[in-house]
Amino acid sequence: MRRRSSRGRKAADAAVRAVASLAALLGIGVLALILAEVARRGAPALDGAFFTALPGPPGVEGGGLANAILGTLALTAAATAIGVPLGMLAGVYLSEFGRDTRLGAAVRFCVNVLMGLPSILVGLFVWTVLVVPFRSFSGHAGAVALALIMLPVVARTTEDMLALVPHALREGALAVGAPRWRSTLIAFKAARGGLITGVLLAVARVSGETAPLLFTALNSPFWPRSMSEPVANLTVTVFQYAMSPYADWQAKAWGASLLIMAAVLTTSLLARTFARERTR
Amino acid sequence: MNATSPESPLTPPPAVPRPHVAVRSGPAAADADGPPKISVRGLDFHYGKQQALFGNDLDIAANRVTAVIGPSGCGKSTHLRVYNRIYQLYRDQRASGEVLLDGVNLLSPATDLIELRRRVGMIFQKPTPFPMSIYENVAYGLKLHYRLGKGEMAEAVERALRGAALWDEVKDALDRPGTALSGGQQQRLCIARAIAVRPEVLLMDEPTSAIDPVATAKIEDLIEELKRDFTIVVVTHNMQQAARVSDFTAFFFEGRIVEFGATRQIFTKPVHRQTEDYITGRFG
Amino acid sequence: MTTNRHATAAEPERRHPRPWGDPLFRGLAAAAAGLFLLLTAAVFVELVRGSELSLAKFGFSFLWREAWNPVTGDFGALSSIAGTLISTLIAMALAVPLSLVIALFLVELAPPAVAKPVGAAIELLAAVPSIIYGMWGLFVFAPFMADHVQPFLSARLGFLPLFQGPPMGIGMLTAGIILALMILPFITSVMRDVLKMVPPVVKEAGYGMGSTVWEVARQVTVRYGARGMAGACLLGLGRAVGETMAVTFVIGNNHRLGASLFDAGNTIASALANEFAEAADPLYLSALVELGLVLFLITFAIQGLTHVWIRRLERSAGRGL
Repeated sequence: MRRRSSRGRKAADAAVRAVASLAALLGIGVLALILAEVARRGAPALDGAFFTALPGPPGVEGGGLANAILGTLALTAAATAIGVPLGMLAGVYLSEFGRDTRLGAAVRFCVNVLMGLPSILVGLFVWTVLVVPFRSFSGHAGAVALALIMLPVVARTTEDMLALVPHALREGALAVGAPRWRSTLIAFKAARGGLITGVLLAVARVSGETAPLLFTALNSPFWPRSMSEPVANLTVTVFQYAMSPYADWQAKAWGASLLIMAAVLTTSLLARTFARERTR
Repeated sequence: MNATSPESPLTPPPAVPRPHVAVRSGPAAADADGPPKISVRGLDFHYGKQQALFGNDLDIAANRVTAVIGPSGCGKSTHLRVYNRIYQLYRDQRASGEVLLDGVNLLSPATDLIELRRRVGMIFQKPTPFPMSIYENVAYGLKLHYRLGKGEMAEAVERALRGAALWDEVKDALDRPGTALSGGQQQRLCIARAIAVRPEVLLMDEPTSAIDPVATAKIEDLIEELKRDFTIVVVTHNMQQAARVSDFTAFFFEGRIVEFGATRQIFTKPVHRQTEDYITGRFG
Repeated sequence: MTTNRHATAAEPERRHPRPWGDPLFRGLAAAAAGLFLLLTAAVFVELVRGSELSLAKFGFSFLWREAWNPVTGDFGALSSIAGTLISTLIAMALAVPLSLVIALFLVELAPPAVAKPVGAAIELLAAVPSIIYGMWGLFVFAPFMADHVQPFLSARLGFLPLFQGPPMGIGMLTAGIILALMILPFITSVMRDVLKMVPPVVKEAGYGMGSTVWEVARQVTVRYGARGMAGACLLGLGRAVGETMAVTFVIGNNHRLGASLFDAGNTIASALANEFAEAADPLYLSALVELGLVLFLITFAIQGLTHVWIRRLERSAGRGL
């Protein structure tokens, strides 16, 4: 049989390795560049007033985004308070009761559909059910919209994490006469690390969301006083300020972007450390 | 002992006798004609900081089956994985010493790994069909190493499948995925894929440990056939298998070759106490 | 609990102290699960209800009419649907090959000292909110496109209508590229997981035949993980189609359908983000909600496809190697 020289193959291999490494570095480099640029442009805006003062009127320099920071914290907290318990309960149903049932399969499909639902449609949906009937944009609507985004993520994580807990653990509890809810509690304890990771990732995700807030919480130049009014928040502020013609507002938008990015990355990092604890 | 090969100036001087040097039985070596296909001299192996092989010396006779036995974790697979330098895929694994293939040290940095692996084929514990058709599986290595026309390729594939005693079972289903075959058939497909490129040596790392007894018997028969054309080294934890298929047997223990000789001598009159204990099932 | 344990051992058929505990627990969990069915149905129903005016007025022709005139009350979805599909297509065309290459680099080529931190960093980047990409796109990347990339493309490929027109920076091409950058970390980390799951022994078998790194990657690893990677792409596709902020900042918000990729355009999501809060006329609102309904149906179709695909994947993985 006629032999084939391996010289061409080796050259192709070396070329592909070089191109792949370069492309990978390019892709990673651009992503790093984005983060660096946000940090570079955002840092100067983060002065004392940014964290303490209300925004100034359009076109007037100065002021801060303290109301939006507070508002984002309030919206995220409210969304977490709604989304996490409900999502976890649904996850418990899927993992403990609905493993092979029709309802379980249907719910699992809906979890997937909601997970893939574009966040702007979540905003649109909440607008139709919570803004139109009450004739007002509100913090409640914003919190519910964010909670709707958390729900499927938390449900899925809970199901997955509980599924990893060995059955023997639950059976051990059931065998000594513990009721089902107690055996589930034990499973929860065993899956703690993974569950905390899932919740933190969901929180990180919604705290950076803009689209679902556009027609629900909207935005406001005032301190957040009540959840039944529009509530100031960082992400919609970034959108509005970035599109404005004022240099000072654009600078503030960069500052807010940096703050959002830092918060999301910190939360995700925290989530990762919990995940690592679990695998250990 | 072979002379150090000229390609490897870094090779250490011939080892001083070690406490655990293998006992080589004189008459057994007479079974093999000509020089050994592979000569291992002073082979050490490290996983990171942990040493796994200690001064292995071994001669693999051409066109014979050499079995490597020993309790699990004794280093027999590690030893085999040096022969085609597959261990090099993992950064923390290191081999030192000499492994001479036809007198040339394959551990030398100058070795062309592509050519080495064409000459030294390997069969793994679990069947490893590639995610492609039966035909493409066998043609895989042929395309890498040979320049063949369509007809020549089909002939070579058929020859390899016949050689692996699989042709009659798959000749009408060559475009079915290789993964659709049974475990034993998959393993024979892997053998066909390996022999298609006309290697000189076939390494088999517990080739029947994931396969049922009937399929195992077929593969053992096949090994008997294959040794006409290839030099075969088979790692096995199954002592009956070693006794059935091999001409020579090396017994490994804790990274050292305790005893090496003709298979019937090892299984009937082992020199070392450890060997006897192992083959009579007292440990391992 | 400890006393309970002994008691249970002594008399196994002892009745439970709180017989309502478990049914309650089970009922609560089932109710929460049922909420998902309700929500999914409600989203669909509300979108249809909200679209009624527009559906009644335009019927199915809404889908292929290009008009978008709030003043005369004449609406059609063509430019938004086309913009959604084109920006997604550009994003996928750029992001998929690049993700594949980066994932291969991380799994097969890079030394662990590089692969580990970079892999972790990419997973983190997947969490960066899309508004960050939008900001960067508007203030940093769009000017760069206008000054360098678009003039270059016009000069070299200007004979194609795709690359004609004034270099404004913003527009369909820019939106597609920003979208690509946004889904890149996500697809890359899923692909990396898929490639990592290819059993080492199969790769060893590839190298054992005398293959090079590239040959093993192309002929063995990628084929082995092909379905998983297709799943990763579908997930990325779902994200790209409905993405709002990364696109809205840079697409230019124009309801006319241009032949050039430099032209300003819009997507369903960007039209909603830009116009919804300001729309007062009921028909205008209804047309926007109908755009939302179209987006819902598109993502639902992608979702269904992904679902079927992953089910097939799981079934074939269950069969073993």
